[in-house]
This record gives sequence, C-alpha cells and structure tokens, in this order.
Amino acid sequence: MITILTRYLTLFVLTLLVLAALSFSLAYLFPGDVLTNLSGITPQNEIQREALARQYKLDQGYFFQFIHYIGQLLSGNWGYSFISGLPLRDEIGIAMPATIELSTYAMLIAIVIGIPVGYYAGMKGYTTADHTINSISLFSYSFPVYWLALVFILVFSLELGIAPLSGRISLLFDIPNVTGFILIDTLLADGIDRGLAFRDALHHMVLPTLAIAIITTAAMIRLTRRSVIDVLSRPYITAARSRGLSRWQIFSRHILRNALLPILPLMAIQITTLITNAMIVETLFSWPGIGNWLIQAIYQRDYPALRIGMLAVSTLVITLTILIDLFNRLIDPSREKYERGTV
Amino acid sequence: MPMLDIKNLTLEIDTGQGMVKALDKVNLTVNSGEIRALVGESGSGKSLIVSAISGALPGQWRLTADRLSWKGESLLSMTAEERREVMRRDIAVVFQNPVTALDPSATLGEQLEEGIPDEFVEGSWFWQRKQHRKKIAVSTVHKVGIKYHKHYLSAYPHQVPTDICQKFMIAMALVSQPKLLIADDPTRGMETTTKTQILKLFTRLNQTKSLSILFVSHDLLAIASMSHTMTVLYAGQTVESGKMKHLRKRPLHPYTKALLDSAPSFRTNLPPKSTLPTLEGTIPPLQHMPIGCRLGPRCPRAQRDCVVTPVVRRIHDHTYNCHFPLHMEKL
Repeated sequence: MITILTRYLTLFVLTLLVLAALSFSLAYLFPGDVLTNLSGITPQNEIQREALARQYKLDQGYFFQFIHYIGQLLSGNWGYSFISGLPLRDEIGIAMPATIELSTYAMLIAIVIGIPVGYYAGMKGYTTADHTINSISLFSYSFPVYWLALVFILVFSLELGIAPLSGRISLLFDIPNVTGFILIDTLLADGIDRGLAFRDALHHMVLPTLAIAIITTAAMIRLTRRSVIDVLSRPYITAARSRGLSRWQIFSRHILRNALLPILPLMAIQITTLITNAMIVETLFSWPGIGNWLIQAIYQRDYPALRIGMLAVSTLVITLTILIDLFNRLIDPSREKYERGTV
Repeated sequence: MPMLDIKNLTLEIDTGQGMVKALDKVNLTVNSGEIRALVGESGSGKSLIVSAISGALPGQWRLTADRLSWKGESLLSMTAEERREVMRRDIAVVFQNPVTALDPSATLGEQLEEGIPDEFVEGSWFWQRKQHRKKIAVSTVHKVGIKYHKHYLSAYPHQVPTDICQKFMIAMALVSQPKLLIADDPTRGMETTTKTQILKLFTRLNQTKSLSILFVSHDLLAIASMSHTMTVLYAGQTVESGKMKHLRKRPLHPYTKALLDSAPSFRTNLPPKSTLPTLEGTIPPLQHMPIGCRLGPRCPRAQRDCVVTPVVRRIHDHTYNCHFPLHMEKL
C-alpha cells in the first residue's frame, strides 16, 4: 500500500517537474522579452529592469533560474497578466473552478446515465434494445462538440428562447467568489434571493453541461457495453452459470465488478477529451472558465497568461489521471503490486 | 434406468462456410452410481458434450438431440429456471481450464461459498448462516486435499498455483453434493501424487456417496484404473461404448484398438525400443470432416462401405459404430 502510494507520488512529482520545465522554457520560446514573459510586468526604465532581472535571477544560469521559478510557483507568485495587470493566480482561481464545475456535472451525468445504460445494453448484447442504444450512442458520439453547442444555442436560446444565451448567472446577482462553484456560491451569498439565484445559475448551466455531457455519456455507454460483453464471454461466467447461480447473482457478484475494472482507466482517457470539450463549449457560451480565458489570452498575446494557463490545465489533467489510475490499482486485486504507475 | 441419457446429439456450428456438424449423433448414458469415462483425442468434441449438458453453449450454435434427458426429464424442453435448478443441485461441472473458469476479482472463498445451496446452511440469523457457510467451505476444501484453508480461502485466483485452482474447482463442484459430477480433464497439469489423490477422492465419493461421474480425459491410465464404463469419441462421432473390461480385452472398433495400443502401459508384450503403433495422419479439422465414418481415411480396415455412416450396432451392453469390426469371429 505504502509502496504503491510512493510510486504514484514520485510519478506525480516528476511529471509536474517536467511540466514546470516546459512552462519555464516557454518564457524563452515565446517572442518578446524573457523578463516580461516571465513576470508579466513591462519594465519602464533600466533601473526597474535590473531590479526585476535580479528578482527573477535572470543574471544566473538557467538551472538556478528554473529552481527560482519553481519556488515562485509554489509560493503562489505566478506573475501578472499583460492585459489586465492582475495577478494570474487570482484570475486562474476564478476561471479554473468554473471549468471544473462544468466538467464535473457533465461527468456526473455521464456516469449516472452512461454506466447503467451501458450495462443494460451489454447484458442485452446483440438484441434490438442493444442495437438501438448502440446506434444512438454512436450517433451522438460523432457530433463535433462546437457544432452541437451552436445548434443548442440556435434552437433553445434563439428560436425557443427558453435558455439564456451566455454567461454563468444573470448580471442582476452579485455573487462573491467563495468556492468558485457557482451553484454553491449562490447558496452562500448574502443579501440576495438565494433560491432565485440558484435557479438562475442552474438555468444558465443546462445548455453547456448538456452539450458536453451528451458526448461523454455516449462514450461511457460504449465503453461499458463493450466491457460487459467482454466479461459475458469469459469462461468464469459460463462456470458460474453451470453452478446454477441465478441471473442476479451472476450479475451482481461476477459481472458488475469485472466489467467496471477495465472501464476506470479508459475513463481517465475520457477526462482529457472532456476538459477539451469543456474549454471549447465555454468559448461558445462565454462561460468564464479556463478555456475562454486561454482563448482571450491567445487573442491578446498575453504570454505570461498562456504560460501559466498551460501549466494549470495540464496539472489538472495529470492529477485526475493519476488519481483514477491509483484508485483502480487499489481496488483491482488482480493487478500486480510491483507494476509501475503510468500517466 | 440411466440418470443422464443422450441420444443422437448433434451440434452444428456456423464456420462461415456453412454449418458443420461438430458433434454427429453422439450417444452417451451415465447410469446411477457408475463412473463413465469419455475418451478421445483433443478436438474430438469431448468438451463440447460437457458444454451441451451444462447448457453453456453460445446461442448461435444449433443443438439437436433425440434425447437429452436427466432422470427422464428432457433438459432441452425444460424452462430456464428448471434447468438452473438441476444444475444447482444435481449436476456439477469441473471445467477444463481452472484459471480462466475462476472469477479473477473475487476471492476463492467467496466463490466457493456462493455455490453452497441455501438448504444446507443452518442458522436463522445472517451471522450464524455466514459462520456455517464458512464451516462448510473449510470442510469441503479439506476434503479435496487443500491443507492451508486460511491462506487459500482469502486468496485471489491469480495468486494461487494452477493445481490448487483445479482443486478449488472440484471443491466448488462437490459443495452442492451433486448426483452427477462431470469432470472435464480434472487432473490436467497436476503432478502424479496430486493426481492420484484426486482420483482416489473421486473413487471414494463414488463408492460412499454413490456419486455418478462422467470423467472426461485422455489420460487412459487414470481412466482404466477407476472407471466402470467407457465411451470413445472420434471427431465428434461416438465410436464405441461399453464396459471398461470388455473394451480393453476385446475392442471392436479399429479406433479403440489404436487408442489402447498407443498407450504403452497396456501392452505387456511390447519389445524394447520398438515404435509405438499409431494411426497414420491426424484428426481432421472441423471444415474438412470426411463423410460417412469419420475415421475412414485413417482406418486400416476401411472399405468402400465406410462412406456411409455406420449405424449403432449392439452386442449386449456393448455398442459400436463400425461396418467392419474387429474380433467378430471370437464372439
């Protein structure tokens, strides 16, 4: 147990170091002044420039610069945005939770709907019910997410007018940023009608969440169905049947767990797609998340923001991937204790 | 009256180039309290018969039989629920490959305990029942010759050597106290001492509990020492069937003779360093089964008539499917 945790922790730290190195090298690779790319502050005169260079240890070798850079990252000093002049840490602190919130709800929908439907389709393998579910999921899996989001806007916001077009919540409500999750923040806010604010936030959330969730759910159904059909053809299911166990016993004791185990690592792969989709959908719905924020940074050539944004998103993806793999390792008895961790 | 009675069991498999008869009019009976051996080369359809009896065949294969009955009740026309009940209480199967036939994500103890019929478990509260289940599991495990039950009951299949897995399969089969045990190559991959132990266990159960056993194997030596009757299978056709001692003394079918001759331990007059007698050629693949008697192309006694499938002929309780049987002059 401790060995496994150590293995995964080492893997995690090393991967983060590589990412930090990449983000550090971006300061040199991006066009423009290295100092400006690193700090986000354009020095006004030579004295200020020298002071900044000394502060960022630019007068020393690359290695010491990198060490200093990591120290700065850890202490929360991530530099300033070119455009807004605000600390990047605060900006990401607002944008990141918005994306996580969107992805979390989409993932929850995908798990709550996708896995049971996948099990149903798998158990009914190759019947009409299975074929119907399979073709629907294949159909919705092949939608490009930006197209789907645009169609949603066109139909529900513009034609029918039943859903708001953009944003997280109506401008009438002033919600302080506490957890970063809008649904929780509305409930914590003072001096407003919380129920109304909550409903309004929910209203804003439906379309973007659905746009992402439909594709993820379809993927989940297909993964689960495949896995269940795979397990059903295994000899131990035949053996269990020949022992005269009931259908329910076979399902709950042998199929459920064995089909779920191979889904988990595949789910980790899905998370990357999910976050990418969330970032695209955010842009379309003007959702103040990290995707939208990064696109703005690209438009405005905000190099410090791009440097940190890349680091933040990749850290999120890596963390989730490693956590899922670790979880899978802990619950799957057939995986070797000495197997290495992978990203 | 036979417990298990199979007549003209035919199994057709779709190979992509039309249906092929993997089993062609197989006859097999197992009487109450007897050990019947089912012998044949690999690929002769032994395991398919086992699957057909236990109802574990894929749905797209076509199974037809004049009779496939258990204690007079047809297994084919039963409802799924009735058939499950028969499999739960009366028939137990030990499958060929123990490692894949065990659930990799459950401990051996859990898998053994789930096979215990509820009727055997005493106690009215769930903890009492749980304790009693555990007790039954431990005693069954001891019965098949596993000593360290504490270690093995909580182990997962991949952590356990193959022969222990095989013993667990046997324990799982015996835990429901069946009337018929179908053992598909149960001693495969075991060393000689363990093998003897298992065979002795089978013989003892047969004698004390009058457990009928259908023993599927190609280990002639093991079979000859314990079984009462034998059915020989070649390429999906029953070749000969009868009492073990009759078959050994005077096989009527050329294939049975070749099979027995190929086992050196049955030959007393085998000169040293002589080649063992074998039939020319190999068992034909499923797509290229010869018509008529499937042994035809390899048979030393084959004649023109052999392109017609021989009918079952019977001398007392000895049946054979051959146009030109051996040893007829002596009978």
